[in-house]
Amino acid sequence: MIIDMHAHPWLMNEAFKTSQAIEISKKEMGWGLMSGHDMQMTRIELKDAKVDKMVLLPLDLTTTRKVQIPDNETIYKLVQDNQDIFIGFASVDPYRKDRMIELEKAFDQYHLSGLKLNPSKQHFYPSDPMMNEIYEYCIKKNKPIVFHSGMSWESDAPMKYAKPLEFEEVAIRYPELRFSLAHFGWPWIHETAALLLKYPNVYADTAMLYMDSPRKFMKDIFENQLGPLWLENNLKDKVMFGSNSPRFKPRRIKYGLDQLNLREATRSKIMGENALRFLGMEE
Amino acid sequence: MVKTFKEKVITHKEFEIIPITELVRKCISQSGITEGLVFVITAHTSSGIMVNENLPCLMTDIEETLERLVPLDHDYAHSHFLLSYGATGGNAPGHLKSMLCGNHTVMVIENGKLECGKAQDVYFAEFDGPQTRNIFIQIQGE
Repeated sequence: MIIDMHAHPWLMNEAFKTSQAIEISKKEMGWGLMSGHDMQMTRIELKDAKVDKMVLLPLDLTTTRKVQIPDNETIYKLVQDNQDIFIGFASVDPYRKDRMIELEKAFDQYHLSGLKLNPSKQHFYPSDPMMNEIYEYCIKKNKPIVFHSGMSWESDAPMKYAKPLEFEEVAIRYPELRFSLAHFGWPWIHETAALLLKYPNVYADTAMLYMDSPRKFMKDIFENQLGPLWLENNLKDKVMFGSNSPRFKPRRIKYGLDQLNLREATRSKIMGENALRFLGMEE
Repeated sequence: MVKTFKEKVITHKEFEIIPITELVRKCISQSGITEGLVFVITAHTSSGIMVNENLPCLMTDIEETLERLVPLDHDYAHSHFLLSYGATGGNAPGHLKSMLCGNHTVMVIENGKLECGKAQDVYFAEFDGPQTRNIFIQIQGE
């Protein structure tokens, strides 16, 4: 099974009640000239890319920007209507007074599969003690967290909050918490590699902002900047395919990864098996 | 008299050639124009409109020739992070294939019918799919 661990519903027409809401989403997340699309096109894109499932990551910006893109109930409905292709995550703004009520509802009522947090856009340091309650609840419910890490393209999203080493304290404090450093923490990929090597429950996804072509970028990251055997010999159980759709098409990121010189067994882990373990869905 | 139709085409692959001759004929019929010209124009910069013969072998040759001229992997200047989109330009081949194909065709209407040569069919050519695409079919005449 091929799982895209990093996708956003931010241009899906079905995720927004009005066309104005989708424009707010585009403005917040820096989508510029990109257009909204409907579910039929999402399904066509997944089929064309030969991707079986997509993890939908929303973002709750209630206190900083007064928006949720979209809210957890909408993610729940999207998953309910498209269970064959979607796995839904929740998001909570850590500064919300009702954040634990919202999180409890997301996991218990909406049965969402994990939590998405973006320290840059939500303005918090991962090791801030205010986060402990959220982390402990995720451990209690056996839910993983996907943290945005590395560079943030969006406005009002300082990168200082999401440098990979900022997450080390969380891994030390909560070794049983499964979390993923999205975007491989690019450009701080060596920090990410060190965390993946050291902490058993820290993962990363491949949803990196490429600067040339997916093939050149993935080759440079995984066979040049990181040693040519680092992924194959050391990190093969910790890296998960993620596209950052719709910013980047799953087909293109998958093509870039397909160009890496990897054993077939390693490719299977990266394209889906690691995600199943991370999500707690491994049989 | 001028009549303009805006039609949607849903594509399913990165490269796809879709026959639209019947769609053009339908628009001519609805226009009421019996003598004139029909313009078929794509609204996008990574797709095209072409006229060719409906043979699978030719479709293969067209795809392979365009791929040889404009390979997927090349050092395209367009392949950089675009501030206006918030994404990296990954579709330089689509733009260049569109340039080679052209964005439109013009054909004759006579006695209310599309005047095609026996081998001619009109195609929408997708070079950056899958996507939902728009084409304009404008009929000018009397």
